[in-house]
Amino acid sequence: MSLGDVLFGAFALPFMGRALLVLLVLSIVAGIVGVLVNLRGLEFISDGLTHAVFPGLAIGLAVGGSAGLVPGAAIAALIGAVLLTLFVRAGVTSDAAVAVVLTATFSVGVIVVSRSDDYAGELEALLFGRVLTIAPEDVAPLVVVSLAAAVAVGATLKQQVFRAFDPHGSRAAGDRGLALDLVLNASIALVVVAGASTVGTLLVLALLIVPGASARLATVHLWRLFPIAAAVGAVSAWLGLAVGFGASVGAGIDLPAGSTVVAVFVVVYALMLGYRLVRDRMPRSPAAPAASRPRARAGAAGER
Amino acid sequence: MSESGPVLVLRDAAFRHPGGAGVAGLRLSVAPGEAVAVIGPNGAGKSTLLRGILGLVPLVGGSMRVGGSEHAPDGMVGFLPQSSDLDPDFPISLEQVVMQGRYRRLGLLRWPGRRDREVVRRALETVGLADRARLRFGELSGGQRQRGMLARALASEPVLLLLDEPFNGLDQANRDALIETIRTLKRRGVAIVVSTHDLELARQVCDTVLLLNGGQVGCGPVDDVLTLENVQECFEGVGVEIDEHTVVVPGHEGH
Repeated sequence: MSLGDVLFGAFALPFMGRALLVLLVLSIVAGIVGVLVNLRGLEFISDGLTHAVFPGLAIGLAVGGSAGLVPGAAIAALIGAVLLTLFVRAGVTSDAAVAVVLTATFSVGVIVVSRSDDYAGELEALLFGRVLTIAPEDVAPLVVVSLAAAVAVGATLKQQVFRAFDPHGSRAAGDRGLALDLVLNASIALVVVAGASTVGTLLVLALLIVPGASARLATVHLWRLFPIAAAVGAVSAWLGLAVGFGASVGAGIDLPAGSTVVAVFVVVYALMLGYRLVRDRMPRSPAAPAASRPRARAGAAGER
Repeated sequence: MSESGPVLVLRDAAFRHPGGAGVAGLRLSVAPGEAVAVIGPNGAGKSTLLRGILGLVPLVGGSMRVGGSEHAPDGMVGFLPQSSDLDPDFPISLEQVVMQGRYRRLGLLRWPGRRDREVVRRALETVGLADRARLRFGELSGGQRQRGMLARALASEPVLLLLDEPFNGLDQANRDALIETIRTLKRRGVAIVVSTHDLELARQVCDTVLLLNGGQVGCGPVDDVLTLENVQECFEGVGVEIDEHTVVVPGHEGH
């Protein structure tokens, strides 16, 4: 089996094609939303939402079979997003709020799943996803959920960035912080919903966090963060699926697809980190005056 | 709004944070090109007054008209908050920060166009930072950041500009630059309300003084209002900055 077969040919198989389509859309959207997660420092809230989705998935599965997964997860995620937004706003420290929501919902989910006959199998699917067994009729809902998050964030992008940079200034300029927070948290929740059904509730966090963090390492230019994060997500998703396929078909090593994808995400982040460390150590070009070379100094953190 | 009509009128206005502190009994009229210094000790309600004009603190008594209407139209009022603790690592350039001043006019879906970039460029020229436009905001000095925030307030093309303690922590060069900017804006017809406890600044650039301590202690032309008696009443026993020297004004009971 050639490298071309692994990177391109494999996706002619229907189940691989579906996996690629869903993961590409999801990773690009997660990358864009993830930049805001990074700028706002919402990583822990995102973690809370990944757990809040779990009982929704479990109840959805119990009520409607696999067709109930996305609706169940969406309802749970949106409730979780609203609760977390209000908790944080009410002054409950966000870490405590998230921890309460996180553990409470996860335990509810496990209780629901434990009532079913195939406890172990279903729990594994919910936690680690089923990216290679996405049914044809599940593709459209997953793409729609992802695109809904993209539209919500895209429509408020300027204001979201403004609020991330200067919440008081944004409010003084007439923006409504609560509305913006609800839109952002709901978008995170939608990404988590789509991700939970593909790479699983435990691994979806990587799709949200890694591309945004990688983009921060790659550039200090605000509006380049979003395309870079989207590209990191798309390339990692594609390579991750290809590596998993190549390993199991070509080399007979059976790698779980979702975990392989996430591992590639982390490898890409490590490469970015290495690039950044090398670039920061390189001496600044003596020909360029300091004032016109902001990028060269961007690596050094903090005030001067 | 007629050209000559006042930009801001307060009639016995009172602003109060929900369940918190407030200011009351405010009577003030500000004309285009007029600068008003709001002077009072810490906790006198200076910020509350500015945030009230901006609509961030509720009006709980009297009346307020901005530009002849009950609610300030979008982008009409520019605001420079007290030097804020913004993340110096945030990946954003000075011109991108200034462009945020256009967002109110652009609304949700529209993105900045040529005219917006032109307004941003002129705002940066006004505060003397045109050559720093592409620097990352966090790389600027404290004074330059403050001037950058002023440029952001100007980019909304306000007819009324609110400055909250703009001179706190500024060195002499940035202070001079800011005073020059305020004079330029007055010539262009922008009405300015600036809160400060710097009496010298009031004398340098302001036409009117409003003395504040929980309520209005006095209001009128600078030379009439900034009298020793008025200042004593306003700053009972607190330190006052005059030419960077702190003078403690004795309270009445101290005589």
